Amino acid sequence: MIAVHNLVKQYGKFTAVDGVSLDVPPGEIHGFLGPNGAGKTTTLRMIAGLLKPTSGRVEVNGHDVAKEPELAKASLGFIPDRPFIYDKLTAGEFLRFHAGLYGLDGKGVMDRVHEMLDLFELRRWENELVESFSHGMKQRLVMCAAFLHRPRAVAVDEPMVGLDPRGARLIKDVFRRMSERGVAILMSTHTLEVAQEMCQRLSIILKGKIVAQGTVDEVKKLAGGSDDHLTSVFLRLTGGSALQEIDEAV
Amino acid sequence: MKGAFTYLLLPHLWSSRNRAQRREKGDGVRALLFGGVGVGVFIALFYGAAWLTWQLQDYDELGDYLLRLGLSWIFMTFLAFLTFSGIVTALSTFFLSDDLRLLLTAPVASRRLFYARFTRTVSQSSWMVVVFVTPILLGVGVADCAPTRFYVTSILTIVPFAIIPVAVGTACTLLLVNVFPARRARDLLMLMGFLFSGAIVILLRMIRPEQLVRAESLPDVTGFFSTLQSPVTPLLPSFWAGELLFASLKGGWDLLHAGALWTTALACCVGLRAADERWHFSGYSRSQEAPKARFAHFRALDVMARFLPLSPVRRQLLVKDVKIFLRDVSQWSQLLLLLALMLIYLYNFRVLDLGRIPYMSGFVKNVYAFVNLAMAGFVLSTVAVRFVFPMVSAEGPAFWLVRKSPISMHDFLWSKFWTGLFPILLLTETLTIAANELLDVDPFLKIVAAVAVVFLSLALVGLAAGLGARYPRFTADNPSQVAGSYGGVAFMILAVLFLIVMIVLLAWPSTTYLFYQLRHRPIGTGRLVMMGLSFGAAVAVSLVTWLHSMRSGVRALDAMSN
Repeated sequence: MIAVHNLVKQYGKFTAVDGVSLDVPPGEIHGFLGPNGAGKTTTLRMIAGLLKPTSGRVEVNGHDVAKEPELAKASLGFIPDRPFIYDKLTAGEFLRFHAGLYGLDGKGVMDRVHEMLDLFELRRWENELVESFSHGMKQRLVMCAAFLHRPRAVAVDEPMVGLDPRGARLIKDVFRRMSERGVAILMSTHTLEVAQEMCQRLSIILKGKIVAQGTVDEVKKLAGGSDDHLTSVFLRLTGGSALQEIDEAV
Repeated sequence: MKGAFTYLLLPHLWSSRNRAQRREKGDGVRALLFGGVGVGVFIALFYGAAWLTWQLQDYDELGDYLLRLGLSWIFMTFLAFLTFSGIVTALSTFFLSDDLRLLLTAPVASRRLFYARFTRTVSQSSWMVVVFVTPILLGVGVADCAPTRFYVTSILTIVPFAIIPVAVGTACTLLLVNVFPARRARDLLMLMGFLFSGAIVILLRMIRPEQLVRAESLPDVTGFFSTLQSPVTPLLPSFWAGELLFASLKGGWDLLHAGALWTTALACCVGLRAADERWHFSGYSRSQEAPKARFAHFRALDVMARFLPLSPVRRQLLVKDVKIFLRDVSQWSQLLLLLALMLIYLYNFRVLDLGRIPYMSGFVKNVYAFVNLAMAGFVLSTVAVRFVFPMVSAEGPAFWLVRKSPISMHDFLWSKFWTGLFPILLLTETLTIAANELLDVDPFLKIVAAVAVVFLSLALVGLAAGLGARYPRFTADNPSQVAGSYGGVAFMILAVLFLIVMIVLLAWPSTTYLFYQLRHRPIGTGRLVMMGLSFGAAVAVSLVTWLHSMRSGVRALDAMSN
C-alpha cells in the first residue's frame, strides 16, 4: 500500500504540492490526474524518495520513506516520467545490475530477467545496447526493471507516453494482473480513457491541491453530472477548455 | 559483491568495456593523435624531471634542498588543482549525474552510495594529476638511482594525497548545494574555475621561468626558492608528500609524514561520510528544484540586430546563437581563459630579447613575423574547433526546428559561418597586428600578415563550419565533446596542413622581397611574376578551402534533410 499524509513541497515561496493526502490499498489501481504543472510528478518523486518533502509523510507498505528509506524503496517499483538507463549497457546487463541493486542474487536472477524480457517482448534485444532502442522499447525496459523485484507497490508517472497500441495494451494487462495479485498501483496519467478504464479510484490535483477524490462515479457526481465522460468532468474540475479562445486563435 | 559499494561502479566499467568493443568511426585516428600527444608529453616530463635532477646533483646539499623543495612545490600545485577539481567533479557525481535518479530510488544504503560516488570523484578528479606526476617521479627516481622503495612509496603517497583535497572539495560542494541550487552553483564554479586557471597561467608566466636557465641569475633563483617556504607549509599534505618521497629517494623511511598523510585521508573519509549522510539528500533534493532562473534578456541585442542588413531568418538565427552563448556560463567563461592566453602570447613578444643577437636581430624579427603568423593561425584553428565546429551540433535535439522551417540549409550554415567569422577575425587580427608592432617587423611584412589573416580566417572558419555540418554530433553533452570527435580531429589535422601550405606560399615571396630590398637591388620581372603567383596561390588555396568546405557542409545538411 501507498499512504501519503498531508504532503507539502515548497520551492522558495512557491508551493508545488499543498497538503496532498491519498491512500492506495493493496490491489487498487489509483489514478492520479491533473493538468501540466499541477504537482503530480513532484508528489510521485517524493513517494519514490527522490525529493525531500517540506512537510508531511509518505509510507510504502508500512515503511516511512524518510525514516526507513531502504525498506520502503525495496518494496516499491517506481517508473519515472523521464527514466534513466545507461546507454552503453545492453538490456540484459542493465536488468542484471538493477536486480543487484534490489539484492536479487543467485541462479534465479537470469531466469527472472528472461521472464520479464519475454513478458515485455524484449527478449531478442537482450544483448543490444540501450542506445539503439526506440522510446517505446526504453519505456518497456524500464517497466521490466521496475517489476523485476516483485514490488508490492508501484508508483508510475505517465506510463502510456510513447507506447504503440500493442505496448499500451500490454502495460494495461500487466497492471491489471498485478493489482489482482494485491499490488497497490498509483498511476499518474493524462490519458483519461486509460484512467476511466483501469482505475478503481481517482485523485485529481490542481495547483498542488487535491480537488476531487473517490471512485470514477463519485468524482463525476462531485463535478455535478453523473453521465458525463471523464474528459468533461476533468475539464470542469480543472478550469475549462477555453474553446472560445481556441476558435479565435485558429 | 552485490552488497559492496564497488557494485555501484559496475555500470561504468561495463559501459567502458562495451564502448571499447564497439568501435566508432575515427576512433583509430583519435587514439593515434591523442595517444601520440600523450606519449610526447610523458617523455618530455620524464626527461625534464631527470635533467633537472641531474643538474641539481652538481650542487650537493643545495641541490638536495632544492629537490626537496621542488617536490613539495609540485605537490602544492597539485593540491590546489585537486581541491578545485574535487569541488567541480563532486557537483556532478553527487548531485547532477543522471544515474542518481535510478540509484536513489533503489534500496541502496546511503553509506554504499557515498563510497561509490566518492571513489568516482577521486578517480575523475585525480587521473590527470597521476598522469602528470608519474613521469616526473619516474624521471627523478631514474636520475637519482632511487631504490625500489621510492617507487612503492610514490604509489602509497599519491593515494592519500589525492583523497585529502578531493574530500575537502567534496565537503565544499556539499555545503554549496545546501545553500544554492546545484545548477546555479555549477555556473558559479565554472566561472570561478576559468578565472582561477587564467590567473594561474598569467601568474606563472609573469614570474619569468626562463630566468631559471640563465646561469647569471642563479643567486636570485635560490632567493626565489627560499621565499616559497612559509610557516603554514609544514601543515599541508603537499609538504608531507614531498618529505616522504624525498626520504625514500635517499633510501630512508619517514613514518611521521606517512602517518600524517594516511590518518588525515582516513579522517577525511570518515568525516565526509558523516556529513554526506546528514546533508546529501537535502542537497540532492534542492538540486532537483527548478526555481525561476535569473537571466539576462539582452534586449539591446534584439534592438541592434534590427539594424543589421540581414534577412529576418538570418537575423533570428544570429540573435538566437548569441543569446544562447551569452546565457551559458560554461561557454562564455572559456573566453576568459582565452583572454589570459592572448595576454601571455603578447607578453612573450614584449619580453623577447632579440637585442642579444645584434647582427641578426633584423633577420630574426622577420622570421618571427612568420612564426607569429603560424601561431596566430594555430590559435585561430583552436578557437574555430572549439566555437565554430560545434555550432551545427549545438542545435542538438532542437535541430528538427530548423529542418521543418522554410529555411534553406545554405542560409542556415552561412549564418553560422558569419556568426563565427567576425569575432574570430577580430581576435586573430588584433593578435597579429599587436605582436608585429611589439616585434617592430618590416612594414611590408606587417601588411602581408594583416591581409593573410583575413584569408586564413575565411578558410579556417569555413572549414570548421563545413566539417561541423558534415560530422555533427547532436547527442553530445557539450561543445568540448563535439570538438574532440572524429570531425574535430580531422579539422585540426587539415587546419595544420593548410597553415603549413599557406606559410610556405607567403614566406618565399616575402623573404625574397626583403632580401632584394636589403641589398637595394631591383627584382627581375620573372621573379616578380613568380612572387605574384605564389601570393595568388595562397589566396586561391584559401578561397577554395573556404568555399568548397561550405558547399560540402551545405550538401551534407541537405542530404540529412532529405
